[in-house]
Amino acid sequence: MPAPIRLRELIRTIRTARTQAEEREMIQKECAAIRSSFREEDNTYRCRNVAKLLYMHMLGYPAHFGQLECLKLIASQKFTDKRIGYLGAMLLLDERQDVHLLMTNCIKNDLNHSTQYVQGLSLCTLGCMGSSEMCRDLAGEVEKLLKTSNSYLRKKAALCAVHVIRKVPELMEMFLPATKNLLSEKNHGVLHTSVVLLTEMCERSPDMLSHFRKLVPQLVRILKNLIMSGYSPEHDVSGISDPFLQVRILRLLRILGKGDDDSSEAMNDILAQVATNTETSKNVGNAILYETVLTIMDIKSESGLRVLAINILGRFLLNNDKNIRYVALTSLLKTVQTDHNAVQRHRSTIVDCLKDLDVSIKRRAMELSFALVNGNNIRGMMKELLYFLDSCDPDFKADCASGIFLAAEKYAPSKRWHIDTIMRVLTTAGSYVRDDSVPNLIQLITNSVEMHAYTVQRLYKALLDDISQQPLVQVASWCIGEYGDLLVSGQCEEEEPIQVSEDEVLDVLEGLLVSNLSTPVTRAYSLTAIMKLSTRFSSVNRIKKVVSIYGSSIDVELQQRAVEYNALFKKYDHMRPALLERMPIMEKTASNGPTDIVQTNGETDSTILDTKHLPNITQPASQANDLLDLLGGNDVVPVIQTTVPTKPASAGGELLDLLGDLSLTGGPTPTPAPSVPMSQPSFLLDGLTSQPLFNDIAAVIPPMTAYNKNGLKIEFTFERSNPNPNIAVITIHATNSSEADMTEFVFQAAVPKTFQLQLLSPSSNVVPALNQGSVTQVIRVLNPQKQQLRMRIKLTYTHKGSPVQDLAEVNNFPPQSWQ
Amino acid sequence: MRSFSLHTVGKGSDDSGLDQPGSEYKFFGYQYSFRISYFKMMHFLLLFSRQGKLRLQKWFLPLPERERKKIVKDMTTMVLARKPRTCNFLHWKDLKVVYKRYASLYFCCALEDQDNELMALETLHRYVELLDKYFGNVCELDIIFNFEKAYFILDEFLMGGEIQETSKQSVARSIEASDMLQETMEEYMSKPAF
Repeated sequence: MPAPIRLRELIRTIRTARTQAEEREMIQKECAAIRSSFREEDNTYRCRNVAKLLYMHMLGYPAHFGQLECLKLIASQKFTDKRIGYLGAMLLLDERQDVHLLMTNCIKNDLNHSTQYVQGLSLCTLGCMGSSEMCRDLAGEVEKLLKTSNSYLRKKAALCAVHVIRKVPELMEMFLPATKNLLSEKNHGVLHTSVVLLTEMCERSPDMLSHFRKLVPQLVRILKNLIMSGYSPEHDVSGISDPFLQVRILRLLRILGKGDDDSSEAMNDILAQVATNTETSKNVGNAILYETVLTIMDIKSESGLRVLAINILGRFLLNNDKNIRYVALTSLLKTVQTDHNAVQRHRSTIVDCLKDLDVSIKRRAMELSFALVNGNNIRGMMKELLYFLDSCDPDFKADCASGIFLAAEKYAPSKRWHIDTIMRVLTTAGSYVRDDSVPNLIQLITNSVEMHAYTVQRLYKALLDDISQQPLVQVASWCIGEYGDLLVSGQCEEEEPIQVSEDEVLDVLEGLLVSNLSTPVTRAYSLTAIMKLSTRFSSVNRIKKVVSIYGSSIDVELQQRAVEYNALFKKYDHMRPALLERMPIMEKTASNGPTDIVQTNGETDSTILDTKHLPNITQPASQANDLLDLLGGNDVVPVIQTTVPTKPASAGGELLDLLGDLSLTGGPTPTPAPSVPMSQPSFLLDGLTSQPLFNDIAAVIPPMTAYNKNGLKIEFTFERSNPNPNIAVITIHATNSSEADMTEFVFQAAVPKTFQLQLLSPSSNVVPALNQGSVTQVIRVLNPQKQQLRMRIKLTYTHKGSPVQDLAEVNNFPPQSWQ
Repeated sequence: MRSFSLHTVGKGSDDSGLDQPGSEYKFFGYQYSFRISYFKMMHFLLLFSRQGKLRLQKWFLPLPERERKKIVKDMTTMVLARKPRTCNFLHWKDLKVVYKRYASLYFCCALEDQDNELMALETLHRYVELLDKYFGNVCELDIIFNFEKAYFILDEFLMGGEIQETSKQSVARSIEASDMLQETMEEYMSKPAF
């Protein structure tokens, strides 16, 4: 049998293939040859064959039949064999294959080999892909090697220990004695890996953390030596001595100093020194500065140092290097909550970054800009942000628009400014605003009573220009329906009133109905708007005609509305004026179940119904508001305004539909508002004093225990997500009252198909024993149909060495979490 | 502060068999690292050409083959789509991806949210320097034809996603010594290597 072709020749041959099919053919041929060679148990060429297989694996072809061969290579005495064998093991095997356990004995032998490079190979393999079983078996060997005087082996053993600890956290204690004099090493490799090991131990165990705090002076000394020492050719990078080690030490100092006054004080000087002395002309210097800044912000540093850190970030913002600008923006975003004033000083630079060409930088700058907006700078900032909205990529527009709305709501200096800003957003990025902006804006507009005329005029003019942006069109048609009388009477104070006749207005609205650009929702808005105008305009006949035409529309929603409106004209004409009266001011409510108040009594659009979940920011001043206040906290009482009749039930079933469910949330049947305060005075007074007003964003959904078995307890806590009220945000807290840690803890959840679920990353996968800590994870549940929330959860973890798996149903969700 | 990237979860992990047959439930776990702890380290390191051909892949977490392939595909698509003169950092799921182009090869690694991206650039640069020292003016062909050596060098520089040696000379010396060991063995066996 001829010798199998050499590796480089195979590579050369495969590279000559001109098509995928040709390559596949060559590979298949070679694989067949390799397979038969394996079958013949050829020791001489096994190495070559496995190497070729690894190459083909990298090209994407299956290579699992080489797994056992790798093990044979590892067991061989030849160094070349071992080298390729271990490489193959790292590439082809992992803990999922049972076969990997066969490696354990070989690795054990090689860990004690006479040649350090063989020992190195086995340490490396164990440290890269060792499974928990392997780590358990071999931890002792690793610990032994951690104490050797051979620095080549010691550094590898340290990183291998890190891997062992990650896989089997219980074994951490075992490595503690060996760490005793790790930091007194001169060898930088050992120093670096030791710092990594110490970092890992400190992050995993609060006890270790307190134990290692005493190392702070030593670490400070090592860092100082690195900075002060002269040029060392071996570790120099652009004039800085061993930046990798410096950064790792800074990170360890961060962990040790966090929350501890003494340690933080001990490192203040060295941090200041690094911050001021590091050369910043190259990336490496900035990398160290960056790490320093992160450390300063995390520990209990004195205020002077913190200001220094923020100034460094400010300088980064002016740097030509994009990476550094990006990193600065990310860090400033993290610190803007805690050091708001310091970050404000760099506002103009941040705003300039909005004009950067790089997409990532623009996004960060946008987020940071929103975080910096406050009552003082709102006008200036908004100008910049609106300009940004005009020119940014479509991906940004939705987020930017929402951000602008939020900021405008919080800090608007005047109502007129607010409305102008909204108009600007709607006209420039109208098709990108989120769906819930429409009800938000409508609610805002109704609250600015004195601006109604101005608003409707501007919206009308905008409609004349462009009817393609649906959110704009929807808001506009709603307003015209509501305030059409102001529009035609030319009452505007804020600007020059326009002359427009009733027919022109109706032309525009009818145009929306027939236009191809309008979505079904928009058509529904315009039909209702036209209907409302029947009580405000005099040309009722025209409206009647339009309404009756749509009584046979193919769109079911439109058809239903038209039919009902028709009925209103015919049989219930006496009710029409009252029903279609001017809307009362809508309240913004807290976004939790029992404090929701049904607002709507005119619109049937589902989007409007969502207004009840808006977070409250401002308190519109109106007497209707006082009434709402008096209605107090937790009762689900529909809001009925004094001006609107509250007994449409007598008008027939279909009218109840038309007006929306007044008793939607199943509260007490509607009663005329004036009588409510009279009938229950004591309750209302209690409501005022003891319970939070529904306007507050009080989290009233109680937490619940979802699972409690075998020492593992899982609690759910809830929040509503703003701005989307259909998303419930659940945080799970898993605690473990048993004596042993639960490792490799994985939480999974399943929900019925009408829901959607998203899990964010868990805080860790170890639930420490005896309730010493907890694992938290955030779940977001989208529940658009407001169905009862049910969940099935699956828990897997390792406890006292054996894997545990459990399934459970969670049905005891509090109703507020899904209503 | 973790950035809540709203990637849709879609299906649960395909190969975990979590779906209860015939039921209306579909299990969701935290996708991507569903078996892995919350490590603070490099998750993987990839080298690929401008045409998207993989030249080296080093994984520091156990992931199934299918998921690895998908990640490689995602990475190459994302990185190759980047315009020139943009920064070297990307967000992918909840990891930071750091990439740098050296001639015709892209060096790409994925870090945890807490890691220092600027330092990761230095790490990638150090690896390139080590390759350059070994091969002498390294180019993509060197790595194609000597991929196993590229791995050996990487394994002397990084382990488990962390740096094991910060001195260039030290790494070079170890590789040289290992190569000598290999050749010595081969001479003894009087057979060519591979």
